[in-house]
Amino acid sequence: MIQGLRARDRQVQEYLYEKYSGALFGIICRIIYDADLAEEVFHDAFLKINQKIDSYDPAKGRLYTWMANICRNSAIDKTRSKEFSKSSKTNTIDDYVYAMESGSDTAAAVDGIGVRELMEDLNEEQRFIMECIYFKGYTHTEVAEKYNIPLGTVKSRVRSAINVLKKKADII
Amino acid sequence: MDIQNYISSGKLELFVLGDLNETEQQEVLSMARKYPEIQEELKAIEAAMFAFDKASGKKPSAEVKDRIFSSLEASLPAQESPDRPGRPESVEKEVKLYPGANPWKPFAVAASLTAVLAIAAAAYFAYSYFDAEERYAVALEQNAILADDARSNQVRFDELDQSMERLLSGNFERIPMKGEGLPMQEDALVDVFWDKESSEVLLSVNQLADLDENSDYQLWAIGADGPVGIGLVNPSERLNLQHMQAAGAAQAFAITIEPRGGSESPTLEKLVVLGEVS
Repeated sequence: MIQGLRARDRQVQEYLYEKYSGALFGIICRIIYDADLAEEVFHDAFLKINQKIDSYDPAKGRLYTWMANICRNSAIDKTRSKEFSKSSKTNTIDDYVYAMESGSDTAAAVDGIGVRELMEDLNEEQRFIMECIYFKGYTHTEVAEKYNIPLGTVKSRVRSAINVLKKKADII
Repeated sequence: MDIQNYISSGKLELFVLGDLNETEQQEVLSMARKYPEIQEELKAIEAAMFAFDKASGKKPSAEVKDRIFSSLEASLPAQESPDRPGRPESVEKEVKLYPGANPWKPFAVAASLTAVLAIAAAAYFAYSYFDAEERYAVALEQNAILADDARSNQVRFDELDQSMERLLSGNFERIPMKGEGLPMQEDALVDVFWDKESSEVLLSVNQLADLDENSDYQLWAIGADGPVGIGLVNPSERLNLQHMQAAGAAQAFAITIEPRGGSESPTLEKLVVLGEVS
């Protein structure tokens, strides 16, 4: 697949889009609440993925992780740019859930379980850490400094939160 | 190294979330290569994140997909994001992301450097040119002055040469005329050179006061028939031979001050110098 992407094969690009666009767009939507702006960032990020595919090294992790990081960084860059208003950075899981559920597109509901269900097994601390890192785009060191939580604690909470999600994923 | 400890440190999760720096990333990768357990854990975390994203995300609108693929298609030949109306900031972003990708940049830099150097060189040579032009004009002028000097010197030399020739070829007698004992100018001193055979008379002023513009010095040859005016004397032309009119016979020569242009007969009250022929 990677060779096809490097050759700019249209069919391979379509396949990539079909398989991953939902998950990647989801990452951006968690960080950028505004639907139009999120679509714009997704557009740019997807082009970037196709342009930078030559620099992707399979030894450094799977393709999805690499693409997810590009999307997350694009979205975070956007929230830190001047055009992005400050108020938009107060996204929380509930905002996101609300945005997804109220969206006219019913695809999310069809695709599977919602974020609320995925998150309901997390305890308060784990939710908070996921909100900061996964939804607002803070780094773990930023979270540790900002909320005065020891770095090791932040790390272990990230781990326990993802562990919960892992078990959920197994069920899915 | 306790692998279980490493796995539970949370580092692997942060690695998947892209929240580690370059050094830490390299560390995780080398650990994963060394320990299959870590490799397995990484895979599980990646799978979990994908599953989570997939389950919670939704597909973007069909319109976005169309836009993306038309952008991808348009970028095919040039391998670059094209300029599309209505989305200027996306194009700008691409350009910023790959500043080194423009193959013309080094040429542009080289060209502008060359241009700057060329402008500097042009300014320098223009300055040199105008400077040389100016100095050339000055030199020409000086040359013209020198040529004038040379010409006038040539004329003077010819005159002197003629006088010398005349003086040497003839049989001239020197008659000094002095103002001593006369009331006008005590220190006046004028020499007359007279060739009795050819009647030619030359005169050299040694010391003679300047006159006002209404008067002239007049030379007289005093013979048996009385004084005869033989020309006006130029007092400023000192120690230079002045050619006078001929004098056939004379016992003495004298100079008087006369009204401008000279007189028929000398004004004896204004006798300046006198010299007798020996």
